Amino acid sequence: MPNPNILLKNQVGKRVLLLGNEAIARGVLEAGISVVTTYPGTPASEIGDSISAIAQKAGLYMEYSVNEIVAVEVAGGAANCGVRALAAMKHVGLNVAADALMTLAYTGVKGGLIIVAADDPECYSSQNEQDSRLYALLSNLPCLEPSNAQEAKDMVVSAVELSEKLELPVILRTTTRVSHTRAPVIYGKLAKPHLKGEFIRDVKRLVMVPANSRPQHDVLLRKMEEAKKITEASPYNLITHKGKDEKYGLISSSSAYNYAVEAAELLGLDIDILKLGMTHPLPEKIIGKFLQEHAKVIVVEELEPYLELHVKTIAKDYAPTTMVYGKIRQQYFPRTGELSTRKVLRGLASIAGRKIPVDLESADEKYAEVAEGLPLRPPVLCAGCPHRASFYVIKRVAGENTIYPTDIGCYALGAAPPLKVGDILVCMGAGIGTAQGISKATEVNTIAIIGDSTFFHAGIPRLLNAVYNKHKLVVAVLDNLTTAMTGHQPHPGTGVTGMQTATERLAIEKVAEGCGVKLVMVVNPFHVKEAENALKEALQFPETSLIVFRAPCTLMLLREKRREGLEIIPFKVNEKCTNCMACVKLLGCPAIILKEGKTVLINENLCAGCGLCAYVCPYKAIEPAKPC
Amino acid sequence: MKEFNIVLAGVGGQGILLAAEILGTAAVKEGLNVRVGEIHGMAQRGGAIVSTVRIGENVLSPMILEGKADVILGFEPLETLRNIRYASEKTLIIMGDEKIPPPGLTLKGENYPQTNEILEKIRRFSKNVIIVEALRLAKEAGNIIMQNTVLLGALAATGKLPMAEDSLLEALKELVPAKYVEMNVKAFNLGYNHAKKLLEA
Repeated sequence: MPNPNILLKNQVGKRVLLLGNEAIARGVLEAGISVVTTYPGTPASEIGDSISAIAQKAGLYMEYSVNEIVAVEVAGGAANCGVRALAAMKHVGLNVAADALMTLAYTGVKGGLIIVAADDPECYSSQNEQDSRLYALLSNLPCLEPSNAQEAKDMVVSAVELSEKLELPVILRTTTRVSHTRAPVIYGKLAKPHLKGEFIRDVKRLVMVPANSRPQHDVLLRKMEEAKKITEASPYNLITHKGKDEKYGLISSSSAYNYAVEAAELLGLDIDILKLGMTHPLPEKIIGKFLQEHAKVIVVEELEPYLELHVKTIAKDYAPTTMVYGKIRQQYFPRTGELSTRKVLRGLASIAGRKIPVDLESADEKYAEVAEGLPLRPPVLCAGCPHRASFYVIKRVAGENTIYPTDIGCYALGAAPPLKVGDILVCMGAGIGTAQGISKATEVNTIAIIGDSTFFHAGIPRLLNAVYNKHKLVVAVLDNLTTAMTGHQPHPGTGVTGMQTATERLAIEKVAEGCGVKLVMVVNPFHVKEAENALKEALQFPETSLIVFRAPCTLMLLREKRREGLEIIPFKVNEKCTNCMACVKLLGCPAIILKEGKTVLINENLCAGCGLCAYVCPYKAIEPAKPC
Repeated sequence: MKEFNIVLAGVGGQGILLAAEILGTAAVKEGLNVRVGEIHGMAQRGGAIVSTVRIGENVLSPMILEGKADVILGFEPLETLRNIRYASEKTLIIMGDEKIPPPGLTLKGENYPQTNEILEKIRRFSKNVIIVEALRLAKEAGNIIMQNTVLLGALAATGKLPMAEDSLLEALKELVPAKYVEMNVKAFNLGYNHAKKLLEA
């Protein structure tokens, strides 16, 4: 979406193609939400980005918070002043925010508060796949699950109403296929944001010391009793298909619902389908009746058997003879990875004893023949990426015998050959954390790799721990001056806010000094010698040291150059080349290619002109394609 | 028309998401129901990219079943082959000619497969293959980045799309930055005329 202003159009009934996340941003405007906070993460990023682009015009406040728990706290603070707020994050972000979420459920809210959790089945861009619906269960908070962009927008409006009615935060759970599918969305009315609220002291409700928490836990459960009535009447819990075949019934939600409907149609299964959009609390009576009306009920859902567990529990009371098919006893549908029409087709066919009308097996065999030996194309660090220079320096100085705990960001790609810097990757900030245990347990040189945005998000407490406990380790902050992986969002080191206004940059080196690190250095990784010397010094240091490897993200740099009309001068291989493969084997740059499998060439279309290959070439055989 | 399915396949950075969005926007302009499937984030960094566009009244999910693509718009030969399972003998395959060797291949010192070898495998699924000189035409229009627009022009020229060419052009003009509109229209037309000639021949 090149022009986010389309989200501001005050045209009721206008039909626009929107990404699920953009639809959520439109929902923010229709719901009168006035405070939006986020920490970027795939597949949630475009919610914040869309709002950031229009926040000033729309008259609302938006920030890229330093991490997800801060995002939830800022939104929760505003909501407790009666201001409508939304905090958006990816599924693992909800782990970071969980501490605040669990107790905000006790305090409740006055203004509507929505927590958007975007799950990533198949780990397209994540370290794990987890089902955020279980957080709704754990926290006792209502949960809405859209299955498409239209519902994503509409549910933001409904979630705010629900949140204010129950005085509870509401979880809006999406998945990659909801957040990242474009679909037509019909606009509703825009609501005016109200950014000014009032904080009314209410110690018993808001100060969660044990004496107050205990009764608030009961209050929460009473609110959820009320929510149970609401879910029975929710327009999002409904039978969408009435079928002729009365034996079977199908229950589904979210993206899984889309696959289920399409798969049932392909199989000619003309059955009742119950779609659930409010999935916590579940509508016990609706599900109970549905179970009574069908001898066999099929539950189709992605990731954990959340619905199935509840459906089975409800079946015990309402329809003990009804068979429930899903993924708990027998795996008709996989519990890992992303679902698809194909996977649902297979499960439904097996349950209902139908033949799949498409010959998928022959198609697979035929494909396997042509795909054999097809070279893979995993993601790589871009041509010109400064992280490649940092990894080159790190590998040259510290070699194979150093242990490299790494972190979440583009630089996780450094674990792949030929760079191979990255030995353990867990979660945001865990590079510095795990490094301390590894350093203690092995006494081997340990270099923790972390990015700039991740440093601010989760690195600081880990760094404090390292310094205070005198762990010997080097922290290498790969600072490309942006949150690159998720689409170049600002962070405290950039000097820009979510409102797209200027603010004071917080320098990582100053933060490190403030944390008590006694050896802090800043280098440009493309100044290889200087960077190497810094790292050598750091490795000699008996305590925690920190080096900032600072050079801007190449994508950002190229975009700026294009905007300013500056020429990007690629490099070329000259006649001195002996095809020794040093550049290929040391750097793994996608712009360095081979002709006939042996002659080194530089793809001028991809080369960003960083010159690192020219530096590493032992024969001075790489030079700018023309004088710069 | 029951449904019309397009698979767009290539390498991160080739402008696949924009091409898919243009197709989707054009469909909405004509009042059609559409789903455009995308993958963002990590998968974009020079990795293999697939985007899907499904148009049709009853379409709910963005996913296309094996053999059910009406068109495969391939931005890169290897990536076209990687997604050939979506093709049946009825599928039209429009393929750009920019070869981007996967770095893993270079590292092993192996060759990028010969075009003929790739084509032979593609033809086992469908013989309707058009190879578009997308790289040359995009350069001619002003920048190699516009191969996506060249390929959209070529797709429009086949007359298979359920949307009119004008809707596509209108969507294109809305979605590319104002200062690049003219260049992109040129790229679209170059792709269009190139494909027309290929189809006549």
